[in-house]
Amino acid sequence: MARTLIRRIAFGVIAILGVAVLAFLLEFVVPGDPARAIAPRAQSAAVLENIRIQLHLNRPLIVQFADYFGELFRGNLGTSYVQRQSVTSLIMPRLATTGWLALAGVVAEVIIGGALGVLSTLYARVRAVVAAVNLTLLSLPQFVVGLVLLLIFGFRLHLAPVTGGAGPAEIVLPALTLGLVGAPWYAQIVADQMADSLASPYVRTAVAKGLPDRYILWRHVLRNVLSPAITMIGMDLGAYLSGVVTVEVVFGWPGIGLLAVDSLQNLDRPVVMGTVIVGAVAVVAFNLIADVLRMYVDPRTREEPA
Amino acid sequence: MTAAPAMATSAPGPGGQAALEVDSLRVCYAGLPAVDDVSLRVEPGQVAALIGETSSGKSSLALGVARLLPSSAVVTGRVEIAGTDLAGLPAREARRRRASLVGYIAQDAMAALNPVIPVGRQIAELFGVHRGMHRAEASAQAVRELARVRIDRPERVVRAYPHQLSGGMRQRVMIAMAMALSPPLLIADEPTTALDVSTQAEILGLVGQLQAETGSGILWITHDMGVVAELADVVAVMYAGRIVEQGPAGDLFDHPLHPYTQGLLRTRRDLRTGRPGAPLYQIEGSPPALSAQRRGCAFAPRCARRTEICREQVPELMTQGHNLQAGNGPSDASPSRPLAAAASPAGSASAAGQAPDARQPGPARADLLATGWLAACHHPEVLS
Repeated sequence: MARTLIRRIAFGVIAILGVAVLAFLLEFVVPGDPARAIAPRAQSAAVLENIRIQLHLNRPLIVQFADYFGELFRGNLGTSYVQRQSVTSLIMPRLATTGWLALAGVVAEVIIGGALGVLSTLYARVRAVVAAVNLTLLSLPQFVVGLVLLLIFGFRLHLAPVTGGAGPAEIVLPALTLGLVGAPWYAQIVADQMADSLASPYVRTAVAKGLPDRYILWRHVLRNVLSPAITMIGMDLGAYLSGVVTVEVVFGWPGIGLLAVDSLQNLDRPVVMGTVIVGAVAVVAFNLIADVLRMYVDPRTREEPA
Repeated sequence: MTAAPAMATSAPGPGGQAALEVDSLRVCYAGLPAVDDVSLRVEPGQVAALIGETSSGKSSLALGVARLLPSSAVVTGRVEIAGTDLAGLPAREARRRRASLVGYIAQDAMAALNPVIPVGRQIAELFGVHRGMHRAEASAQAVRELARVRIDRPERVVRAYPHQLSGGMRQRVMIAMAMALSPPLLIADEPTTALDVSTQAEILGLVGQLQAETGSGILWITHDMGVVAELADVVAVMYAGRIVEQGPAGDLFDHPLHPYTQGLLRTRRDLRTGRPGAPLYQIEGSPPALSAQRRGCAFAPRCARRTEICREQVPELMTQGHNLQAGNGPSDASPSRPLAAAASPAGSASAAGQAPDARQPGPARADLLATGWLAACHHPEVLS
C-alpha cells in the first residue's frame, strides 16, 4: 500500500511539473506584450523597455525558464506584474474561496445525482423521468443553468443575492449550478453500480440470509457503489479547485477561476502560472486522497499490484 | 400428473416430516417452463443429489425451493420445508424465517460473498438480524461458526475479506453461513465445481461430518457423477426441466433405467476405465432450448431407443425400486446407506458403476435396461 502511494505521489509530481512547463511555454506562444499591458498608455519605447528590463523580459527564454523554476522549487511563485504583491498572497485567499464553492458543488451533485440514481434503480416508474432529467442537464451548458437559476431565484423570486460576493447566501446558486450540471454523471454511475450489485450473487446470498431489504441496500449494495463514486468526487474536487471559471464569472464569485481570467487578460504571467500550478496540485492531491479513501472502502484495491 | 413419489427408500413412519417435500413444482420464465412438474422428497439426514446438465433446470429448482427467484419467474406447485410452506408465507414472514428453514450454498463463493465486507461480519449479521445479538456477541458467534466448519484460527479469519481467502476457505465460510441458524434443509448448488480436486474432497468430507452432527437434509445439485457417488443417498436425474429418473444412489448406479442416466454413467465409466486416447462416450446432440417445442419426450431426439410414441407422449417418471403404478411399496430397494459409508473410497467405488459392469456384461445388461426403459418410460398398458 505504501509503495503504491509513493508511486502515485511521484507520478503526481511529474504531472504537475509537466503542466507547469507546458503553461510556461504557452505563455510565450500567446501573442501580446506584458509591458504594454502594464502601461497601456505609455508611448515611449524607453518606458516599455524599462518595464521589460525590470521584469527580466529582455532575457533569453531559457534564462527566464531557469529563473522561474529555480524560484518555484524554493516555493516562490513570483510577484504579480500588475498588482505589486506576491502571487502566493494573491492566490491563497482565492483558493479558499473557490474551495468552499467546490465543496458545496460536489455535495450538491452527490446529493442530486445520488438521489436520481437510487430512485431510477429502485423505482421503475421514475426511470424514464430521471433519464429525461439527466439528458436535459447534460445538454445544458453551465452558464445557461447558472443564468436560469440567477433569473428565477435572484431576479424573480428575490430568494438569492444577485450582486456577487463570497458569503453563505451567495454560495447557494453557484453550488446548485455545479450540482445540477454534475449530477447526471453521479446518477449514471450510481444507477449502473447499483444495478450490477443488485443482480450479483452476493445480494442473492444476503436475501437467502433473510436480511431486511433496507439493510441489504445500505450495508451490501451502497457500500459497493461508494468506491467509484469516491473516485469521481476526487476528480471533481480537484477540477473545481483548479477553477470553475464559468460559474465564478456568471455569479461574480471571487475565486481562483476569476483571478485566472483577469490575469490572462492582463498578461500577468506569474499569476497565470500560479493558478495553473495550484490547480494542477489540487487535481493531483484530490485524486490521491480519493485513491486512499477507496482503499479504505474497497479492500480489494489495497493489494499491491504485482 | 405424476404422483409425488418418495425419493427415499428408507422413508420414515407416517408421522415423519420430510426436510423437503416438493410437489408438482413448475418454474416458468416468460411462459417457458424451466422446471416442469417436479416432485421430490428429501428426508432429514439424507443427501439427495440432483443431477443434470447446464440449463436442465436444476438451479431454477433450487432457487424456487428457497424462494430466491426473481419476481419475473412464475412458480407454481407446493414446496414444504420441514412442514413449512415457505412459498406460501407473506413476504415479510418468508424473509424472517427463510434462513432458519433453508441454507443456500452457492456455486461460486467468491461472487456469493460481498467483496467489501469482512467474512466474519457477513456471518455475524445473521445473528444480529435474526437473533437480536449485539455486535460483539454476534462477532464471537461468527468465530464459533467458522471453527465449526474447521477453519484454523477463526478469530483471524473473521476479519479477512473474501478475496484474501482460498477457494476452499471461502466455500467453508459459505457453508458456515448457510448452517448458521441450523436450518433443517441445505441446498448446495454445485458448491465444489470451482474447486480443485483435493479441496473438493475436503468440502465433501466436511459436509458429511456436519450433516452427521445436525441431521439436516441436503439437496445437492451437481453435474459431477463422482460427487454423487461420494455423497448421495438418493439421486434424481433432471433433463430439460423434468426429473426423468430417481431412486437410491446405489440402485441408480447399478442399473440405470433411463437412457439419459445410462449415457451419463457410461461417460463416467469411460473416464475411469477407458484406455488412454480412446474416445469418450458422448450422448449425441445437446439438450433442447427452453423455447423449443414441447411435445413428447424431451430426450427423444438424442435417444438411441426412441420410437414413434416418444414424439407424442411424455414418459412416466422412472423410479428405482418402486412400482408405483401397482401401488406396491419398495420391493427390491436397497436401504439408504449412511453418509459415512458413502463417503468412504470403497463405498464410492462400488457405487460408481464398475461392479455392475463386471457382473452383467454386454447383452444381458442391455436387455435388462431395455425392459426397464420400456416398462417405466412408456405406458405400462403396452406391456401388460
